[in-house]
Amino acid sequence: MTLPAAAIDEWYPVAMAPDRPLRPDQETTLLGERVRVLLDGQEPRVEANDGRNLPVIVRHGHVWTSLGAPKHDLFAIPEGEQPGRRLVECGAIRVRCSPLRAVENFLDIAHFPFVHTDILGSEPHTEVNRYEVRIREEVDEVWATKVTFYQPQAAKSAQGGITTEYMYRVPHPTCSVLYKTCPPRPGEWDIITLFVQPLEEDLCQVWPWMALFDDQTPQADLIQFQQMIFLQDRSILENQIPRLLPLDPGMEMPTRADLTSVAYRRWLKKRGYHYGAQLVAA
Amino acid sequence: MASVCGTLEVAVWRSASGRVAAWVDRCPHRGMRLSHGFVRGEMLSCIYHGWRFDGAGRCRKIPAHPDLDPPETIRTQSLACLDAQGVIWIASEAPAVAPPDLGNVVPLRSLTFEAGIDAVAAMTGEVPDRSLLRLDAHGPVPPLVLLLQALGPGRSAVHALAAPTGTGALVAASRALEDFRRRTEAQGIAA
Ligand code: FES
Ligand SMILES: [Fe+2]
Repeated sequence: MTLPAAAIDEWYPVAMAPDRPLRPDQETTLLGERVRVLLDGQEPRVEANDGRNLPVIVRHGHVWTSLGAPKHDLFAIPEGEQPGRRLVECGAIRVRCSPLRAVENFLDIAHFPFVHTDILGSEPHTEVNRYEVRIREEVDEVWATKVTFYQPQAAKSAQGGITTEYMYRVPHPTCSVLYKTCPPRPGEWDIITLFVQPLEEDLCQVWPWMALFDDQTPQADLIQFQQMIFLQDRSILENQIPRLLPLDPGMEMPTRADLTSVAYRRWLKKRGYHYGAQLVAA
Repeated sequence: MASVCGTLEVAVWRSASGRVAAWVDRCPHRGMRLSHGFVRGEMLSCIYHGWRFDGAGRCRKIPAHPDLDPPETIRTQSLACLDAQGVIWIASEAPAVAPPDLGNVVPLRSLTFEAGIDAVAAMTGEVPDRSLLRLDAHGPVPPLVLLLQALGPGRSAVHALAAPTGTGALVAASRALEDFRRRTEAQGIAA
């Protein structure tokens, strides 16, 4: 299969940054191709199947590479550099679904009461209030703002239920950044990201990463909390039909709560990013 | 529960009052398998965002918008479904004929065989391509009626019914059925 430039000339995470306790994977897959992640001293190097050296960026706690030649830099997360944040890599979780379905699920809040019951949501607090979504043309990113939701335990550091405010940002076809009110520091945002490595069109590896104002909770608990949430999501993601994300309207029926997902699909289509997508309604 | 009808993956469920329905196993919202959903009274609730569908497949509640009356166009894809003689029958289109008369039998159990329906039929000595078979009585085992459902090329579900009789005989029938499965699967391996 020949891959479209939109997918080839893009940065993807393939390993955790080498200064982390876990070593990079020796071998992994990217867009159906085998790649090797090696260490030259402290410097990560990524090699294609044919021995070619691939471009590398180490950022946001991960090693990023590309099979092509991206003309753009990898997106920045300026807020992540604020002093006092705990940076937490969570490792990879492999999911048998399209990378795009994994991102879309991350953008969705309406599932909280049903999939993350009594943690990120609970009945009868199921209503999704109006929020704002737009494609910021100047940066070519999808943004959802003023998203609010009632949560019984919004974060590891939260005591009891609160109404949490969220902002979602999609700066990259397979990555999303979530800004969320931070219980110990009103006025600041916790950052939780989802970096998705497309292994194949219907198989991916997600690398959650967090930059939090939380100096209380042990690292292991933070990671475990995030992994538990993601394993709940996986039970959904592996059971959606079709596995690929339908980009054309008609096959799936959105409501007002799905405005972020609608904008995300439209944005992917406009960029010609079809890896992991289904174009014609089956 | 999840089932299949030919190549269609199907969700079959029974409401609190006993009504059965069969739908294509895909929620119209975001494609989640409806067979993972849960029954609430007369409705089936999808596990992903909790959309609730009535027995006719029409969406009645969208929890993200509690005050919204969902438009009539939001519905699941329904199959024909019938609850008769202790068996749930499904068809992708409503057939003109009623299910066969099974005689005086009660449901025994359903088993999955790692063998295609033709192989199962051949083992009973009856002409293949019949989906209704009979196993003759042996000693304490009452005669059985077997209904075959193709699950895939080398897999089938066998729904067994037996003439009404005492518990002891039904236990024997159940063992006989397991033995029949062992022999059928062994035949497949030998072939
Ligand atoms: S996928 Fe079924 S309710 Fe959303
Ligand atoms: Fe989730």
